[in-house]
Amino acid sequence: MSGLNWAVQNLIRQRLRTLLAVSGIAISAAMLLDMVMLSGGIEKSFAELLLAKGYQIRLTPKGTLPFDTEATLDRAGSVVGRLRRDTAIESAGAVLGTSLYGRSRDSLVTLVGYGIQPEAQGIYQMQRGRDLTPDDTLGVLLSPAVAGLLGAGVGDTVSLVGRLDPQVAAAGVSRRLVVRGIVRWVYDYRGQPSVGTILPVMQALASGGRPDDTASLLLVKVRNDAAVPAVADRLRKEFPRLEVYSVADLVRFFKQRLVYFRQLSYILATMSLIVTVLLITTLLTITVNERLGEIATLRAIGIARSTVVRQVFIEGTVLTVVGAALGIVLGLATARYLDSILTSFPGLPAAFSFFVPRQESLVTAGLVLMVTGSLAGLYPAWLATRAPIAATLRSEAT
Amino acid sequence: MTGPIVLTGRNLRKDYPLNGAAVHALRGVSLAVRSGEYVAIAGPSGSGKSTLLQLIGGIDVPTAGEVEILGTRLDSLSDRELTRLRLTRLGFIFQRFHLLPVLTARENVELPMAEAGVPVKERRARALELLAYVGLEHRAGHRATQLSGGEMQRVAIARALANRPALLLADEPTGELDAATGGEILELFRRLNEDGTTLVVITHDERLAAQAGRVIHMIDGRICE
Repeated sequence: MSGLNWAVQNLIRQRLRTLLAVSGIAISAAMLLDMVMLSGGIEKSFAELLLAKGYQIRLTPKGTLPFDTEATLDRAGSVVGRLRRDTAIESAGAVLGTSLYGRSRDSLVTLVGYGIQPEAQGIYQMQRGRDLTPDDTLGVLLSPAVAGLLGAGVGDTVSLVGRLDPQVAAAGVSRRLVVRGIVRWVYDYRGQPSVGTILPVMQALASGGRPDDTASLLLVKVRNDAAVPAVADRLRKEFPRLEVYSVADLVRFFKQRLVYFRQLSYILATMSLIVTVLLITTLLTITVNERLGEIATLRAIGIARSTVVRQVFIEGTVLTVVGAALGIVLGLATARYLDSILTSFPGLPAAFSFFVPRQESLVTAGLVLMVTGSLAGLYPAWLATRAPIAATLRSEAT
Repeated sequence: MTGPIVLTGRNLRKDYPLNGAAVHALRGVSLAVRSGEYVAIAGPSGSGKSTLLQLIGGIDVPTAGEVEILGTRLDSLSDRELTRLRLTRLGFIFQRFHLLPVLTARENVELPMAEAGVPVKERRARALELLAYVGLEHRAGHRATQLSGGEMQRVAIARALANRPALLLADEPTGELDAATGGEILELFRRLNEDGTTLVVITHDERLAAQAGRVIHMIDGRICE
């Protein structure tokens, strides 16, 4: 019989205890995995979100983060033109974010409007219909939420209203536009009612019909990923009145804002590890104490201390491996559930994930568990080797 | 006296501390056992029989005196060497059998051989051979918990013989068995001795003592042959 088989049989001998221990380890392992996924997952998810359409650099008004305020940058068309002439840049486009209204029968509903340049856009993905063309002044793209609010589909006409005149509560400017497609806006929160038109149309709606060349941010796609930091540095010098952020810069800002979140996840992960160690140590210590007579017999018939220690370790390892395997399944399931709750919070992009299952998360959680599981077997193993043979056999005989 | 000396105990003393005072379990015991002998150590409870067996089996150390197994002084061995000697040169049989309950009869017999590094095929064959010797070949696949007391003791005997020990030490081997089953074990011991196994048996059982070649009587930690 192999040591493993022997260990498994010993664990099966105490079915209920083993089951409870494995359940406890599985729960701790699930918590550990979730916390590992949480600690690194947010950043990864954020970076993936920013790179959803391959744009590695954002330019915003000085002192602001993208879409963090309502500030806009002027002469957007001219800046985009200069960017597009840069040989290191593959494409560049402006985005204007504003609020506007959609006419639904006899009432107005508040919407979020995006002015985009379809030839260089990095904020939506087509779901149905077709994309706008750069000179499509009559077309509009809707999010599924707006399509539902306005009761409109591809090919229908909708009426969008720019800013209202507060004196008469009448629309300053309104446009009737044809729905070209239904899209998923990458940075929208769940259920956000967003519409998109080409940039000049949205600029007109936002300014009340006055001539306007503003944008909320500019997106830049660099030809070579490795050149992004250098291009970002160059743009900072070229456009001193703008903020220039690479994805790495934005992730760094994001990490600073989430420092408490990360600390909390580390604390919870540590607690789950401590629980795992205590569980395994307790179970193995009880098991060893119960089997001191058996261990003394083994030692008496010539079984080496190292063999006894190995058996205790194998039992601890079996418990850890089985518990960890169940914990991974449980952890992935709970992460999915928690993610669905957390991403429904207002203001968070729906495409954002708190718990990102990554291979390194699984490997990290697995390795940490295996190490702590082995450490947890140290005391019971030491106890097993210290059992005095003769005294234990004498007490067994009485 | 059939062969060379296998076991020598010289002036063995063993004291246990109890409530600040010393309990003298052995008070200077000397004995020698030759190869092929069948020695019974008899005496009332508390006379020091089991303590003597533990000292000559190297699972406890004397307060004074020395033990030699096949010419090797046990006090000259490290813990690892002593463990190895118990594994390869001695066989132990306990009153309460002490089989591993999760293992089958065959696996219990294989255990000391596995520890000694005997190849799997060889040890499996020898385990079955030993189980056949004790009349339990048909129970090889049964777990220890599925065996009767007599069967468990026979498996324990097979386990003790696994590494072909020079000396078999048994502590009250019939103590937990009824008279009929105990008789079967006595018969097995007799056969073992006839086949050349050297036996030292601690016993209360007069029948067992009667069939031994030599009986050592102990009273109050001393031998009174």
